[in-house]
Amino acid sequence: MNFCKLSTLYPKRLLILICISVSFSLVANGQVAVFTPATEDTVLLEKLYSNYEDKFNKELAALSANNKKDYEEAYRDRLEYIKEKFHKKEIYTSQIAQQYLDALVNEVKKANPVLQKQSFECYFSRSGVPNASYIGEGIILFNMGLFEKLDNESEAAFVICHEIAHYVMKHSDKRIADYVTAINSDEVQKELKKIKGSQYRKREQLEKLVKGLTFDSRRHGRDHESEADSLAVELMHNSRFNVMASITTLNLLDSIDNDTLNTAACLERMFNFPAFPFKKKWIAHEEGLLGGHAKLTVDSALADSLKTHPDCKQRIKILEPLVNKYTSANASNDVVNKHEFDSLKNAFSYEIISYAFASKNFTRSFYYTLKLLQKNPDDSYLIVQVGKILNGFYACQKTHTLGKVIELPAPGNSANYNSLLQFVQNLYLDDYASLSYHYLDQHSEKLNSYAPFKTEYSISIQTAKQ
Amino acid sequence: MMRKILSVVFFFCMCAKFAAAQKLSVDKVYSTYLRNSGTIMKNNQIKGYFFLYLSDKIDKHTNEYTLQILDENLNKVREIKFEDSKKLSLLESSYNGSSLSFLFKNDDTETLDMKIYDLDGKLKFVYSRSYDKKTEDLMKQYETMHTDESTNQNVFDLGDQGYVSVLPLRDGKQRTYEVDYYASETKKQWTYIPNDDEEKYANAEFLGNTDSLIILEVMKKNRALSNKVTSHLVGVNFVTKKKVFDIDNANDTYTFVPSSVVPVKGSGKILVMGSYFDKNDNIIKDFSKGLAIYEISGEGKVLSKSYNTWAEDFARYLPTNRKGKIDNIGYLYIHKLIQTPDNKYFVVGEGYKRQANAGGIALNTLAAIGGARTNVGVTKIVVTDMVMMEFDSLFKITNATVYDKTNNNAVTSNMSDYNSQHIIAILLKASGAFDYAFTTGDADNSNFSVCYDDWERSSDYKGETFNTIHYDGSKFTTDKIELKSKASRLKVFPAKAGSVMILEYFKKDKRLDLRLEKLG
Repeated sequence: MNFCKLSTLYPKRLLILICISVSFSLVANGQVAVFTPATEDTVLLEKLYSNYEDKFNKELAALSANNKKDYEEAYRDRLEYIKEKFHKKEIYTSQIAQQYLDALVNEVKKANPVLQKQSFECYFSRSGVPNASYIGEGIILFNMGLFEKLDNESEAAFVICHEIAHYVMKHSDKRIADYVTAINSDEVQKELKKIKGSQYRKREQLEKLVKGLTFDSRRHGRDHESEADSLAVELMHNSRFNVMASITTLNLLDSIDNDTLNTAACLERMFNFPAFPFKKKWIAHEEGLLGGHAKLTVDSALADSLKTHPDCKQRIKILEPLVNKYTSANASNDVVNKHEFDSLKNAFSYEIISYAFASKNFTRSFYYTLKLLQKNPDDSYLIVQVGKILNGFYACQKTHTLGKVIELPAPGNSANYNSLLQFVQNLYLDDYASLSYHYLDQHSEKLNSYAPFKTEYSISIQTAKQ
Repeated sequence: MMRKILSVVFFFCMCAKFAAAQKLSVDKVYSTYLRNSGTIMKNNQIKGYFFLYLSDKIDKHTNEYTLQILDENLNKVREIKFEDSKKLSLLESSYNGSSLSFLFKNDDTETLDMKIYDLDGKLKFVYSRSYDKKTEDLMKQYETMHTDESTNQNVFDLGDQGYVSVLPLRDGKQRTYEVDYYASETKKQWTYIPNDDEEKYANAEFLGNTDSLIILEVMKKNRALSNKVTSHLVGVNFVTKKKVFDIDNANDTYTFVPSSVVPVKGSGKILVMGSYFDKNDNIIKDFSKGLAIYEISGEGKVLSKSYNTWAEDFARYLPTNRKGKIDNIGYLYIHKLIQTPDNKYFVVGEGYKRQANAGGIALNTLAAIGGARTNVGVTKIVVTDMVMMEFDSLFKITNATVYDKTNNNAVTSNMSDYNSQHIIAILLKASGAFDYAFTTGDADNSNFSVCYDDWERSSDYKGETFNTIHYDGSKFTTDKIELKSKASRLKVFPAKAGSVMILEYFKKDKRLDLRLEKLG
């Protein structure tokens, strides 16, 4: 089955020329490279999704009659999820990035002939969540939020191979089949009939039944993850990539949620101006159960049973013998194009900011921006983005729609992210305007020839006046 | 006017749903039902929400309940399962920072059960108090005059000291009240029922508390239909369990009817605001002379009094006559007293007045001709504008601003023809006819928003609006949310301090969107 591949749409020479201007453009006066988000090709996204939908409909028609309705419902739910990815423009359509990703995939395919005839596609997702996933219909998504944290191409290859393994071993389809089979089994149906006929303690009985099914399902899921790890190493071993990267990647994933940004200190530094000093109450929050910052105790035994993935340490332990067996001194961490890897890694740390804002999660965009500003404090795009977000808060609060673009502090968030969310909660309308104005004003001399800066600065002046 | 948060149905789904023509699915086997929902209050602010579900039937007499607790940002933080009588309802909830309290009414055992849970959801104490049918009837009629929409009427926190409930009580022929104190750190409970009231009828409302005192407004009278009511400010010490004072104007120059209390932090003193009357006036029938603010010590000693007359003090800022009637606005109902950190005081008032009811007049005329009767009044009560008044640290009025809103016909029955302005105010408040909804803001009132409903008829917009008068520490600004939107229905509820909850229902998509929006 042929799909329209992004990389076949443009000739290679033109792509090289595009390469120069894809992410960073030169600011007119200072000759400083400034990030510009890539434009999404919505026509292409619609075409791609339409192809997947056609394929899905053909597969649906070929389903066997046995429990067809249940399968159809499960597959439709899966397709709905895929549809959202395309319609929300989460799929990255930059030609250069896609070409590079295809090159990584081709390196794996080349070394594993069994994959040559498989029809799957890898795309970059503009999500900042550090994850990758096989989402069905042969689609593998590699989130920018994960890619930008990796150290080399071999780590990227491990991630790709892991998801290819899920596809090849049909884990997603198996899980649906297991679920449909289980729910429709005589045993479960008999139990449901019994529960329906009971007058008392229905919930208790049902919870027991569902728990059992869920534990089984999650256990199988964890087994699938271990299988995918192992097959990934096998696929990598045949290629020029370094299998050791599987261990380093899992180590990275083990600590990837560790959040080191000291948000409160960062905000205090950034938003303290002589004419508008920082107020401690902006970062104050209530401790206790109901303030949004509660630390909830978890039933760890239950949580372990419900995990979809084994612990990374456990995964490393399982993989180590295989990795040690295959480790080669000749293996290289970077095989395809190290320069491109680094370039995309850098670009993606900006793209996730842009996408979070475009998909109306201003607080997430704000957080990514603050983090990157710690590394690049003089970056023009980031400076303007802060102003843009604050102006966005102001405009949304004016129209009583701020609640649609911000997240609220919640026990499940990291403490540092919650601090930022609380900061946004504690500010009043005038504060957004004043902070935006004063923040941008301090950069006005340096950035006054940068058009996006002029736009946001002008807005901040208007709102501060109001 | 909504007294409780709108109950929205949350379906308790444990597993992905599926359907098969002759096969069973989870949702066909089991459902859960929302029994009660409401807000969890702390120090008069919404801190969270509770949803009580009937989650299982245990036997003929017993249900399993699931109590879901959401924090102020609508995150589920606790789920408590327990078994109890089938005839159980959850009345109110409060939070004091280290525990949660829930007041349940059990119609099987005819008890009010106060359950105190720790923050892990573990039951600490249960305190039960019986009620009889007559008390139950009184409880159903109980309405407070000084609480905001969706705030508690009966259960209040006393900081880390525990909780208090104030409820009506039928004691033989006497209709009185009961104050129950519940400790949250140790098992300790006591009940205060006044035993020295000469009058047979007493109704109490919790106004506030200090570190050691519970302050009540108690209205007393001798006969059920009597209009001769005396107003008392009662202080009960919740450490010693004794009544500390009962201030009743016997030795006062005027008759003072308290309506709002603000504790002065760290001093044990309280500020009490209310209307004041000439000594021999009937507080139900006669017109008040103005608003007074008393400063009272923890022992009940009146330390200072400040009077602001309608005829002179208020008239400087509003066109007011001797009886307190303000041109175009009518009489003022005082909703709230707010003290700001810089020792300014703001009073939220709303106007109401009696007007001729043209339709009523016509109907009455026709009815008279036909020898019939009608209960439509020849006058009607309309609720008029919002008024914000500012007082200085000496409790003298320094400013008053009128915020126009569309007049709202509140009472058109003949009740408006025969009752005094005070009775009418009580009627309006009890029936939720005022447009004032609630006041929300920072705990120290450095920023606050006064919220009210309105109906707008302009060239740009025609429909309901939710309005705010916002104070930022130095000035007032106004804002409004138009309730007509792309949604089939849009409703605004009080939420955590400084925010409201906006609920949008999209009928076509069968979708309910809920979000918090900050004010100001």
